[in-house]
Amino acid sequence: MSDHFATFSFVDRITEYEPGQLAHGLFAIPATITAFPSCLVAEAVGQLAAWAAMAHVGFRARPVAALAFETRFVNDVMPGSELELAVALASCDDAAVAYSGHARVGGATVVELHDCLGPMLDIEQFDSKAALRDRFALLCGAGAEPGRFHGVTTPELVVTSELAGQSVRAILLVPTDAPFFADHFPRRPVYPATLLLERQIELALRLAGGATDWHAGESIAPMRMTNVKMRAFIAPGQRLELLADMAAPIGETAKIALSARIDGRQVATAQVEIGRRQNQ
Amino acid sequence: MQPTITKEEIMQVFPKVAATMADALGCDVEDIKLDVSLIEGLDAESIDFLDMVFRLERAFKIKIPRGKIIDNARGDLSEAAFEQKGVLTPVGLAQLKAYLSEVPPERFREPMKVADIARLFTPETFCKLVIMAQRETKAA
Repeated sequence: MSDHFATFSFVDRITEYEPGQLAHGLFAIPATITAFPSCLVAEAVGQLAAWAAMAHVGFRARPVAALAFETRFVNDVMPGSELELAVALASCDDAAVAYSGHARVGGATVVELHDCLGPMLDIEQFDSKAALRDRFALLCGAGAEPGRFHGVTTPELVVTSELAGQSVRAILLVPTDAPFFADHFPRRPVYPATLLLERQIELALRLAGGATDWHAGESIAPMRMTNVKMRAFIAPGQRLELLADMAAPIGETAKIALSARIDGRQVATAQVEIGRRQNQ
Repeated sequence: MQPTITKEEIMQVFPKVAATMADALGCDVEDIKLDVSLIEGLDAESIDFLDMVFRLERAFKIKIPRGKIIDNARGDLSEAAFEQKGVLTPVGLAQLKAYLSEVPPERFREPMKVADIARLFTPETFCKLVIMAQRETKAA
C-alpha cells in the first residue's frame, strides 16, 4: 500500500460538506495500534478542515498549520474508536482558512478546536492537485479503505536541563526519514506540528508532575492548549530545542509556556494547562 | 483621495489594538508604541501579521479581508496604476506615502517593492485598518 493518504491521514469519509461552510467526517482508529494521542485527534479535525478549504478554493491552495487559539482536550480516545469529526469554516479564501471544530466518540466530545487559522499555500508545492481532488471525491463518496494508519514512531526527547517545578529543556532530533513524511507532504516533507505539540505536552507533563506536592499520585493530563503558533516549517533532520516553563503558580491547574527553537530561532510557541483528568 | 482619519480616532482604538498586538507577539503591551516598526522593532513575521489581523477581527467584531492594508493604501487607483511587476509606480508610491502618513519619509525605498510594504507597518497602521473596517461595518 502507498504511504500517501495512509501514514498521516485521519479522515476516512466525509459525510456532509457544504462548500465554504462546514464538513462532517469519520475516522476509524485502527484497533491494532497501541495509542492515538489527543494531538492526533486534533490533527484529524484540522485535516477535515483542510479538505473543506481545499475543495472550496478549487484545490488551488492548501492550508498549513499555523494558529490555534484554543484546543480543549476533553477525554482520551482508545484504538478501535471511531472519531466523528466536524468543522465550521468562519472564512476561507486563497489566503487563509479560519475554522473551529470538534471530534466526538459515541456522541461525546473528546477534543474541541476554537479559532484556528491556516494560511493557504500553493498546493503544487506540497502534493498533486489531481491526486487530492480524486481523494476528496473518494472521501465524499464510498470513503477510503480503513485501517491504513499503523501508528507513528517519533524520536525520544533528550532532556538537557531541568529545574523541578520551574522549567525543562530538551532536544528533539527530527528523523531524516519516516513513513509519515510520504504523506505529510509528498512533495515537501514537513514534520507535523501536532507531533511536535505531542512532544511538548510530554515535556509539560514531566514539568507539572515534578512539581512538589501537586496532585501527588494522581493522574494528570493536558486540559487546554492556547495560542499555538507555528512560525516555520520543520524539515526532516532538523534539531529542535524544546522549552517548557511554568508560567503561573501551581493551583488546580499548572500553566506552562512552551516553545521550540531551531538554531536559536523560535519556530513554535504555545501555552498548555495541565490538570487532573476527572472523567476517565 | 484618501479618507481622513483623525489622531483622536487613532488614540481611541490604540489601547485595544496595542493589547491585541502584545498578545499576538508575546511581548509586553508597553513595547507596543504607536510608531514602532513591527518587523524591525518588534521582530514580527508574516505569521504574526495573520495572527494580529485574526485577533483584531475578533476583538473589534470586524472583518478585515487579507491584503486590506494595501487595498486601503491603493484607494481609487487601479492595480496597474499602483504597481507594475511588483514595484510601486511613482503615483503608487505617493499614494502609499499619503496613506502611511505616520511613517517617516526616509523609510520609503525608491524603487519600492510591494513585498516590502509590510516593513513599514506600525501599530498606527493597524489602528487605521481597524477604523476603516469599523466605518465599513457601520456603512453596511
